Amino acid sequence: MTAATADARPTRPSRAKRNLALLGTALLVGWAVFTIDVEIERLADLPGGLALIFHNMFIEDGLDWSSLGDGLLLMLESIQIAWLGTIIGAILSLPLGFFGAKNITSGTVSNIVRQVLNAIRAIPEIIVAAIVFIPMVGLGPYAGTLAIGVHSIGTLGKLSAEVIEGIDPGPVEAARAAGGRSLQVQRWGVLPQVMPEIIAFWLYRFEINVRASAILGVVGAGGIGESLQQALIFGRYPRAGMLILVVIVATILVDVVSGWARRRIIEGSGAKGGSGEPIEEPDFAVAGAGKADTTGIGAADGDGGPA
Amino acid sequence: MTADQVARTPTARPTKPARSPWVPLSLLIFLGLTWAAASEELGIGFDIGELIGNFTRGFPFLADFWSPNWAFLPQTYEPMLETLRMSIIAAAIGCSVALPISFLASRVTTPNLAVYLADRGILNVVRAIPDILYALIFVAALGIGALPGILALVLFNIGVVVKLLSETVDGVDPGPIEAANAAGGNRTQAVRWAVLPQVLPNYVAYSLYVFELNIRASAVIGIVGAGGIGRLITTERRFFNYDNLSVILIEIFVFVFLIELISISLRRRLV
Repeated sequence: MTAATADARPTRPSRAKRNLALLGTALLVGWAVFTIDVEIERLADLPGGLALIFHNMFIEDGLDWSSLGDGLLLMLESIQIAWLGTIIGAILSLPLGFFGAKNITSGTVSNIVRQVLNAIRAIPEIIVAAIVFIPMVGLGPYAGTLAIGVHSIGTLGKLSAEVIEGIDPGPVEAARAAGGRSLQVQRWGVLPQVMPEIIAFWLYRFEINVRASAILGVVGAGGIGESLQQALIFGRYPRAGMLILVVIVATILVDVVSGWARRRIIEGSGAKGGSGEPIEEPDFAVAGAGKADTTGIGAADGDGGPA
Repeated sequence: MTADQVARTPTARPTKPARSPWVPLSLLIFLGLTWAAASEELGIGFDIGELIGNFTRGFPFLADFWSPNWAFLPQTYEPMLETLRMSIIAAAIGCSVALPISFLASRVTTPNLAVYLADRGILNVVRAIPDILYALIFVAALGIGALPGILALVLFNIGVVVKLLSETVDGVDPGPIEAANAAGGNRTQAVRWAVLPQVLPNYVAYSLYVFELNIRASAVIGIVGAGGIGRLITTERRFFNYDNLSVILIEIFVFVFLIELISISLRRRLV
């Protein structure tokens, strides 16, 4: 009996569930494809249209160097928006991170804080800029900065809370045993443990915010986005092409510098040699199969994180 | 001497380790950059006083927010469904395309350095372009509508999935690959039978994840004419119908929340 089993090929596990899931997905995709109202024949124009735009942008008159200075200044404004927005988010999110950590405050308080942070996170910054801050402070980079700041509170607060929940309780107990008051315990028992990781998150958020601030101009909230949109709408393709190049190069440069600083901070602290990229979805961190624990779903938020 | 030292050490305060010169230096850089960015002449002219002074200017609009005009809700169904369809289609196409590209973007499955570097380089450029910028370009090429929106989301999804999945592939257990090679499998077969089964649960999880991202992103790309619920936001904003905007935002919020809930429970079963 046993011998026979050992020789026999093991039976295949049931695939019913898998097949059902595949069928469901196929039905869903089918529904979407057949009910969506698009003129699919327009797709035939795509290669021609893109080639024409590319040709107009970069080839016909060469690169439009006259827009370079303009583009650099506007991109600088975008980066400044991202920088100040990140600082606003960082300053305000740190205390919220403490309140949102279950091991610091009670379960009820941390739950409420977490829900508020989730609500802030759910609405993209460009929409916050358009409907909250532009009516308040008018068009321009100021509105964009505030919008990025508010959105960053949501993501950074959540990440900080998660880092704080993961601390080693030893130093906290030691600080308490030495007679530290509540605030002193946080300052000397918790903060030194979490700061390197949290600063790395701030830098990472800055990289994401640079991407967001490059397009905030579409609603009039400052930065390079508005000029880019105008150039594309009015068919000034050489200018649009140069501005796009500026965005791409500047974004990659910011990623490189900030990524270097992040690694320096994380490794310099003697902590585990991570890249400082957050795993923004807790489910990946908890349930993630061992091989995937470095996924760093930091791209979360819909703004496509840095590479 | 030694005994003396040992006896003294516990009571003496340990000397503080020397501070790294990096700390004051980076602090200085940080303050300088922040000052420049906030100043009127060099930067954006950040002024807290202006915010406080003008804080009340937004109140009439925000007051409308608290009284959502629910009669507007039926008008949002069609654009919201369009957002849902766009997100599904874009995720399906984007994730299918991303699968082979991910294998080319990992050294584990692509030992050829040139191919690997080329793939990585293109990927970095694809990821440096924000989703709205794709939408702008496709709207310029094809005119407004859901089609340019879907294309923009597809590129956005490829960027996200390839990054996450190629990193997962980097971390697979090499055992099965060696086994496949030892059994005489070529590289395609090794990828198919040794790597793919290991990363499949993650791949499905990432696919669900980008689908979630798409719902939020398509609220944004509609602003530049790429279809979906964002189109409605633009028109209502132009007429300052904040009671209608409030309905749209609540709807997006509930929608995103529900999809996140479903997606998280599905992902939890997978990985």
